[in-house]
Amino acid sequence: MIRKLLIANRGEIAVRIIRACRELGVQTVAVYSEADNDALHAQLADEAICIGPAPSDKSYLNMQQIISATMVSGADAIHPGFGFLSENSRFVRLCEECQITFVGPSSETIEKLGNKSVARNTMVKAGIPVIKGTKDAVYDVETGKKEAAKIGYPVMIKAALGGGGKGMRTAFTPAEFKTAFQTAQSEADKAFGDRTMYIEHFVQNPRHIEVQILADQKGHVVHLGERDCSIQRNHQKVLEEAPCAVLSDKLRKKIGETAVRAAKAAGYCNAGTIEFLLDEKNNFYFMEMNTRIQVEHPVTEMVTGIDLIKEQIRIASGEDLSFSQKDVHLDGHAIECRINAEIPSKNFRPCPGTISELYLPGGNGVRLDTAIYRGYTIPPYYDSMIGKLIVHGKNRKEAIRKMISALGEVVIEGVETNVNYLYGILNEPDYQMGRTTIEYLNTHEIREQE
Amino acid sequence: MIDLKKKFKKNQYENIEPEGTQQEETARTGSPEIPDGLFRKCNYCGSTIVTDEVKRGYYICPKCGAYFRLPAYRRIRMITDEGSFEEWDMGLDEKNPLEFRGYDEKLKASKRKTGLDEAVVTGRITIKGIPAVIGVCDGRFMMASMGQVVGEKITRAVERATEEKLPVILFTCSGGARMQEGIISLMQMAKTSAALKRHSEAGLLYVTVLTDPTTGGVTASFAMLGDIILAEPGALVGFAGPRVIEQTIRQKLPKGFQRAEFLLEHGFVDQIVKRENMRQVLGNILLLHAAEHASCNRKTISSSFTDGGKNKFSQEGADLLQNYTLYEDEEFTISDRDSQTEESEKCALTKETEKHTLSAWDRIQISRQSKRPVGSDYIQALFEGFMEFHGDRYCKDDAAIIGGIASFCGIPVTVIAQEKGKNTKDNMKRNFGMPSPDGYRKALRLMKQAEKFHRPVICFVDTPGAFCGMEAEERGQGEAIARNLYEMSSLTCPVLSVFIGEGGSGGALAMAVANEVWMMENAVYSILSPEGFASILWKDAKRAPEAAEVMKLTSADLLQLGVIEKIIREPEEYTEDTMDEPLACIREAMKGFMNQYLPLDGTELAEQRYRRYRFF
Repeated sequence: MIRKLLIANRGEIAVRIIRACRELGVQTVAVYSEADNDALHAQLADEAICIGPAPSDKSYLNMQQIISATMVSGADAIHPGFGFLSENSRFVRLCEECQITFVGPSSETIEKLGNKSVARNTMVKAGIPVIKGTKDAVYDVETGKKEAAKIGYPVMIKAALGGGGKGMRTAFTPAEFKTAFQTAQSEADKAFGDRTMYIEHFVQNPRHIEVQILADQKGHVVHLGERDCSIQRNHQKVLEEAPCAVLSDKLRKKIGETAVRAAKAAGYCNAGTIEFLLDEKNNFYFMEMNTRIQVEHPVTEMVTGIDLIKEQIRIASGEDLSFSQKDVHLDGHAIECRINAEIPSKNFRPCPGTISELYLPGGNGVRLDTAIYRGYTIPPYYDSMIGKLIVHGKNRKEAIRKMISALGEVVIEGVETNVNYLYGILNEPDYQMGRTTIEYLNTHEIREQE
Repeated sequence: MIDLKKKFKKNQYENIEPEGTQQEETARTGSPEIPDGLFRKCNYCGSTIVTDEVKRGYYICPKCGAYFRLPAYRRIRMITDEGSFEEWDMGLDEKNPLEFRGYDEKLKASKRKTGLDEAVVTGRITIKGIPAVIGVCDGRFMMASMGQVVGEKITRAVERATEEKLPVILFTCSGGARMQEGIISLMQMAKTSAALKRHSEAGLLYVTVLTDPTTGGVTASFAMLGDIILAEPGALVGFAGPRVIEQTIRQKLPKGFQRAEFLLEHGFVDQIVKRENMRQVLGNILLLHAAEHASCNRKTISSSFTDGGKNKFSQEGADLLQNYTLYEDEEFTISDRDSQTEESEKCALTKETEKHTLSAWDRIQISRQSKRPVGSDYIQALFEGFMEFHGDRYCKDDAAIIGGIASFCGIPVTVIAQEKGKNTKDNMKRNFGMPSPDGYRKALRLMKQAEKFHRPVICFVDTPGAFCGMEAEERGQGEAIARNLYEMSSLTCPVLSVFIGEGGSGGALAMAVANEVWMMENAVYSILSPEGFASILWKDAKRAPEAAEVMKLTSADLLQLGVIEKIIREPEEYTEDTMDEPLACIREAMKGFMNQYLPLDGTELAEQRYRRYRFF
């Protein structure tokens, strides 16, 4: 077993990892920036080492400093948490070269899955469904039209160098194709000076479904069911739940098995997540694989009763999975809300500051993962997420009621938060009916509820 | 605030046996340790860097951006097309001409340590599909000092390039002469320079790239002879090393002395190029020179690049050339020159049709307006891929004149402009468009370069006059202007001058001995400023408006006097935002100019220009 673990992260996830270590009897080393002197993770760990100034690139992203801190503290492993260096294959390679156990997959796996086209090809080879699209670049309407017919309408026309929605158009029928292609291409030409286009099938109103997997070093892989993360704002998840409200047991089994196959095809080890788009006809397509623990991992923990962080550490220590697929049972329904220090009415502008008053809910099936405390000052340098409220109920309806009740108890003063905004989402009839797609927040006006 | 740290109970207070202790150590192999060489300290800023990453990148410190010295083969891989390098002249016989004791052993040891044959690697490469000869010095081998073998390899490479009509690119780096070879080492300076002279006389391109450090005999021979001299940021370049100078003059040298930036300021470097852009810049230079090598027969090169694209040149090169639409592919050709001329005359006023609605004094005011487009605006708008070249190669780089190479409708051209700048800070830097002798010398240097490669020269004139100051006189303002008139008269390439604002006297004429001279409608061109004119003739500078009328300095007047050939109409409010129409007009007219003058040979061009001025 890992003897001493260095946590290369901050905030609630660092605290979460320290707690798991303590249950396992593993010593902990926190690293912190000069701005995080008072941060909870730095106080809770057995040891804490300052690794540099406030800006992330000088501290939490400073690979050399983190490796040095590991050596100095005598730690034998690093847990990267999420964000920062968690999916940085260069950092993982450094760990490997220094014989530091990295709690996560190998640098090679991260590099492979981090490259979109390599990942896609790996999945196609393994027979995992992907969104149909052109392999080669398209430059003119005629070729594009032929390709679109092969792919099947509706299609999305995308600029190779696209981003921020520029150079992107949808054509629902062949009649719309010409105009859509030409506008997208001329937009791309203006914005990026490049006329290279790709065409792919357009999945209408999909849900974002992701499957949690665990894989040990011997190649045993199990899946822990799915999470529905469709409620997103600007590609940022706002609220997640497990299981997905509309998945039948049969489809759940199929998606889960597909995810296991994908993980095996990638030669994956440790905890990982395979993201799919699920269309209205229950077709699902591979999007990408996340090679780290995710923010929303607690909802899976709540419905499976499996502590994912502890499993990660055990796997990294070389232990085999202690259970197989048939031992995994989903029980009830869990929802997670991300609590951010931000101002929804001002375009969700981050709102750092000092917490002057704090009351957090508790009770049966209510969990709050956070690193804030009364008197704590949220520094302006990092992500605005300050906590995660997770509830677990017998079924989705009970979970929603429990979340509404718990959110109603949250009192955070001194900084503004999105709690009222979350409260608004939970009270929406469409949300309560489970009619959630990735367009949900674009198509519903959420009213903050005081 | 509560200090939570002291309140928390931690692991050490627990008495439960931790999980998994039985299994402990079985799965673990070795304890963490940092392998030797994984990290290094940057020599410049002292921060820890990951050696392997720096080596896989551009050998640049990720923290402070300092440049580390590059092994020759790594450099070649960085800038050339993959697999295109063919090495030449390996294993030449090493001699010990002075029978210097220990030299043979030192050579052997260097070879063993570096795995190199000698301190320079030469051969043939392609960049973006365009072939060239390359030589790269490697400082790890006896500080890349120039012994007989180094000189021989470079000379052979240059000779072979002359024979095969290829451009040469040399990356210089050297401590200077190789002491162990004494006078024989000194002779290498003359040998390499002589080979380069023949290469140049064959009309071929030579580019040097100065890297850290380039000193002594190498600086004083092949390093400084490039048609184009590039340098890496921060490279130390000089004849005498800084330590020697300090010891001789017993003074501390200022910071940055003899660095690439210092050389740029003092006119010896055309451009400082970052490592990550080097391939791109060299590729563009080769391309602009490759296309024009066949300027006499553009069709041949056009077909050799398109048909032979698969075997002779890489796809990348062919693609790039596609963008450089060659002359013959343009919609205008020599045969329909007449219709082109008519077309361009619609917007350009070649006859005196414009009514004199504005007084000469009004036009002077307009020509001086600060919002008027300046030289760089025309360059940006009319040409593609402008590459600025700095310095007069004697003393300074004058910011009042900018110049370099670019392409106009696929034709490589040399562009030179007097530049006033666009805001107060820029105005100061550009000395309000008043060039110093160094500026005129830079302009002439670029024109001579254009002549060598038979590139048309396009000048944009916009100056209140040549700079009037002490340093300008000290460095020979009069001589510099005279030299330009003298040399420009006989240039064997087409020259076009366009007056875009003020045309102040000799300072303007020094960039306007051309085959044709055009003027923007409200530009002016005169022997002197009207203020000066009034004060000399009438002892009263206030009578400038009156002087303006009698001086005949407007475009319409000058057209009538035969001083210019064409007037380009301006919109009422002429600013950077309203340039489109005049630009379209200039573009069309320039196409006409190219059609008319490019087919002429050098003697005809010089003769035409001679007559043009003989007329007055």
